Amino acid sequence: MFNIAGKRFWYFLISGAVILAGIISLVVFGLKPGIEFTSGSMLTMSFKQPVDSSQLKQEVFRLGYTNAIIQSTGQEQFLIRTGELSSEQKTLLEAALTDKFGPASETEFYSVSPLVATETARNAAIAVAVAAIGMLLYVTWAFRKMPRPFRYGTCAVIALLHDVLIAMGVFSILSAILGWEINLMFITGMLAILGYSINATVVIFDRIRENLKLGVSADFETVVNESLVQTLGRSLNTSLTTIITVLALMFFVGASIQNFVVVFMIGLVAGTFSSICIAPTLLIVWDKKEWGRFLPWLPLRRAQA
Amino acid sequence: MRRNTLTFILILLVIGFATWLILPLQGERLGRQGMRLGLDLVGGVHLVYEAQFPEGATAEEKAQDMERALNTISRRIDKYGVTDPIIQQLGADRILVQLPGFTDIEAAKSLVEQTGFLEFRSVELDADGQPVYLSNYLSDNRTEFFDRSEAGSRVFVARRDIPDRKIKKDNPVVFIVKEGGRLKFTDETGDPIDTAWLKDYASEMPSWIPARGNSGVQLTGGYLTEAIPTVAQQVTGPDYQVSIKWNDEGSIIFDQIAKRLYNSGAYGTPQRALGIFLDNKLISDPQIQEPAYNGSAVITGGFTQAEVTELANLLSSGALPMPLKKPPLYQEKVSATLGASFIEMSLKAGIIGLLLVMLFMIAYYRLPGLMASIALLFYAVLVLALFKMIPVTLNLAGLGGFIVSLGMAVDANVLIFERMKEEFRAGRTLGAAIEAGFNRAWSAIRDSNVTTILACLILYWLGSSIVASAAVMGFALTLTIGVLVSMLTAITVTRTLLRLFVGTRLAKKTRLFNVV
Repeated sequence: MFNIAGKRFWYFLISGAVILAGIISLVVFGLKPGIEFTSGSMLTMSFKQPVDSSQLKQEVFRLGYTNAIIQSTGQEQFLIRTGELSSEQKTLLEAALTDKFGPASETEFYSVSPLVATETARNAAIAVAVAAIGMLLYVTWAFRKMPRPFRYGTCAVIALLHDVLIAMGVFSILSAILGWEINLMFITGMLAILGYSINATVVIFDRIRENLKLGVSADFETVVNESLVQTLGRSLNTSLTTIITVLALMFFVGASIQNFVVVFMIGLVAGTFSSICIAPTLLIVWDKKEWGRFLPWLPLRRAQA
Repeated sequence: MRRNTLTFILILLVIGFATWLILPLQGERLGRQGMRLGLDLVGGVHLVYEAQFPEGATAEEKAQDMERALNTISRRIDKYGVTDPIIQQLGADRILVQLPGFTDIEAAKSLVEQTGFLEFRSVELDADGQPVYLSNYLSDNRTEFFDRSEAGSRVFVARRDIPDRKIKKDNPVVFIVKEGGRLKFTDETGDPIDTAWLKDYASEMPSWIPARGNSGVQLTGGYLTEAIPTVAQQVTGPDYQVSIKWNDEGSIIFDQIAKRLYNSGAYGTPQRALGIFLDNKLISDPQIQEPAYNGSAVITGGFTQAEVTELANLLSSGALPMPLKKPPLYQEKVSATLGASFIEMSLKAGIIGLLLVMLFMIAYYRLPGLMASIALLFYAVLVLALFKMIPVTLNLAGLGGFIVSLGMAVDANVLIFERMKEEFRAGRTLGAAIEAGFNRAWSAIRDSNVTTILACLILYWLGSSIVASAAVMGFALTLTIGVLVSMLTAITVTRTLLRLFVGTRLAKKTRLFNVV
């Protein structure tokens, strides 16, 4: 029999380290919001002739869009991001670029006004918060026949926040390196993680519930560990099949839903880890009142300092 | 066992029906349509506008205006022959317009945005019956209009292009309104403007005032019953015009105005002209040639064929009851070629993902894995059939949600099979282990799937509450349908298939079940 639950403080250490790195990145680099959250226009143009990226950049700057961001998104295809463009400004910009770089077609155009951007950012934040509270209430309700059902809800939601933090942190590191921006697909991926992570946690909690009823052992830690071992195959296999389809999406569809795929992938790994190693073991910590062990050297350090 | 055979036949029937239902997947065949595809997959334009109501409009008036605006926009778009356009109200003051397959975003915007407010104006006359120009208003610090009987706004339009100010010929340059006992020079939106630069142009811009009937009612496009593009053959070539017909009331007002203008001056003088204004732009200022027109007239102005078609469309679809804020709150345009490549890529991702998941399930769980794989195929067919029946508009995110759900749909089977193994190891027979596996895994399947659905509901709410929403809602909807259907296929279908083997020779080979 594996002893999964016994190594819980190692898990907390690993998670803590990843979250800390993520938080540092979030503070230092932050998340770059896309036009959905800040307003502006995004124009994708495909040129017929080869175009030099830096010349294009120069030309766009020369036309007065000094804050423009220009990215190459494919063969002779460029994404130009500016502040909100009026119809006339857009027509002038496109005319000026085709004058200089030859014929081009506009493959995509998005424009978001500041009003809508504020609304979107606010509602996305509300959605994530409501989802977390909803999950807390639901898990508490689903385990209402257990002693202290609130603990199950709380531990499940802590695992959830853990996944969200890791996904945000890792994404922030990636976006600092690769210049990615967060868009609505990011929020969609985030909420999909919420659903998935709790799903995995509930399966394990369900097994704990069953084993407690069967009276497998008087020791709570033994019960939890046994439940973890019993459900381990399921936890890993389901994650694997989901990862397969997410990878297929990543390789074949790529850029357009890149944000979703990447966030969901990070969340999937974090969620699998937290549903096995964080949520159930937190139940043990709570049951055994081991909170003190989290900070054993903290007072010591203080004394030294 | 008999009951199981019946269930099996029922499942085959359902699958057969669902397969028939989903074909063709794309395009049209044998008179049946393919899946309904979102704008990002077929290409098209997505716009969201905010209505600008006059100050002090009541909620009831706003609701009425919104309804009229939606109707007007629908009529305008109908004439362009866009298939399945969506024109919807969002919230209290927003209008969503989706035009699948129509990728000229600027044309789409001008079609929707133009208020289409047609009004008739005549040139203001001073006390001596002489036409008033902007220069007259600028020359002294006047606090009164020249024609005090007319309190409405004065419009001055450019008589030639003014490149420095980016103003084209016939477009409004300045308005004069009377406010608080003083005359105020404003732009189109009512903000005060600097008049210093106007001096060079002021003496050529006549003051246009509303043309009213004897009862004081202004002649507007609201009195039109018909507007059709026509062409008159002239010596110089075809002259494109719009023929209009007035209703009874409009006919009387029009003739009263015509008679007054006819008698106001000689042919060719400014006071003899009737200004036809569309959204404050002068589209034509023909000379009145007869004292009475008896209900019909033509609008000429050196138009092109495309211009008269658009003008006639605007006039006959009616004016918007209120202007829309420009630029739109949200604009999105995807080219058709980009959409087509998305479909191809998603199809590849879906098929490869599906095959890999099946391969894994069979390699790991053997015979039950094969059954789960068949159930997964059924799942894919059923979900697609539901998408078509409901119907769900599939966009890129929705397709993504569906593909991810293929991986998650086997979750219930994984749960059940793992449980089966345990029960078998605990000493049950294979048949009993299968039944126990299904029964005991149920509470976990139920409780865990509810959480996914809960997250989807919240996502759907988020999607419906924001403007750039189609992607989020599509994802939430496809994932919810996926979770619900997967509970059905992973449990009912797999169980029925597995039961077919219980009691046969195959069932003795425990290796096939990978349970040892």
